[in-house]
Amino acid sequence: MRKIVRAGYQDEDRLDRSRRIEWLDLDRICGSTAVLVGAGALGNEVAKNLALSGFAGITIVDSDTIEMSNLSRCAFFSEEDAYRKRAKSEALAEAVQHLHPTMSVDFKKCRIEELPSDFFQQHDIIFGCLDNINARLHVNSHSRLAGKPYIDGSMRGTLGRVFVSLPPDGPCLECAANSSHSKIAALRFSCTGSETAVFVPPVPAEITTTSVISALTVREGLRLLSKEAVPLDGQMIYYDGLRNTLELMEVDVDPGCPNHGI
Amino acid sequence: MSVVVKVKNAETGATLDMELEPENTINEIIESAASFWHRDSGAYVLRRGKKVLSGSSSVRDAPLITGDVLELIPDPEGG
Repeated sequence: MRKIVRAGYQDEDRLDRSRRIEWLDLDRICGSTAVLVGAGALGNEVAKNLALSGFAGITIVDSDTIEMSNLSRCAFFSEEDAYRKRAKSEALAEAVQHLHPTMSVDFKKCRIEELPSDFFQQHDIIFGCLDNINARLHVNSHSRLAGKPYIDGSMRGTLGRVFVSLPPDGPCLECAANSSHSKIAALRFSCTGSETAVFVPPVPAEITTTSVISALTVREGLRLLSKEAVPLDGQMIYYDGLRNTLELMEVDVDPGCPNHGI
Repeated sequence: MSVVVKVKNAETGATLDMELEPENTINEIIESAASFWHRDSGAYVLRRGKKVLSGSSSVRDAPLITGDVLELIPDPEGG
């Protein structure tokens, strides 16, 4: 049968340019749903990348409201959002819906610890854009328990790292943690676990660090979902923006890690 | 038998020599080096080459030998 192709038809397909990238498994990506935990600087950029990549759905989780000081690093928040003290999760959800109108977008204005334990099982892949170790370890352990891959991005100044945790066998974020992480986690919370006992002004990420780490974080997700690309497992990407170096570092399963063997 | 390793501060390039007993742990090395350089307010990992060393590992288990160069690098926690 003769096939007739209409000139210019490619430009009516929003994902046409992505389809030309051979290693991308767009069918799988477009059928996948993601959880994005943390809607700050990194979360804004990661959400943008997920929407433009064609994900079928995204659920954004963050308990914070927008402050004026967020506006120098979060592309999707406005002064009006800050005046209204709008929820970060809601504002970001609305923005990415505009980027990708057919994507299923949901948001939860709460701490990730408040969501039911089966929340992670309802999604295909988890992205962490958090600002504290306790929440990171929570997402890490619950993703692993649900059997879902967890990709965690983090930043400070011009430094950043991306860690990929692939259950059931690969090392997890907690395998790479040590007593310095425990010390910081304990410092940030009072004995009740709800109030900040010690305030340490955070060193914010320089915004170009955010761009680099968000790209690497989503890239790992795309590699993971695309059969022909080999995802990182047991390795973390470490970025030093002052030296402009990227390194892969190896992490072993810690035999004492509580997330292995459960 | 003790070993002597060199610990490098990735943020400043400074180094220190540290004498270790076989039962010392990576956690103890991290805590000692961070304290020496007044880096107590952040999370760090210690690496040897490309390998991130497990905090609970002992010098014996790692295993560390005299002359090893370890690097203390910040583990960023912001998002």
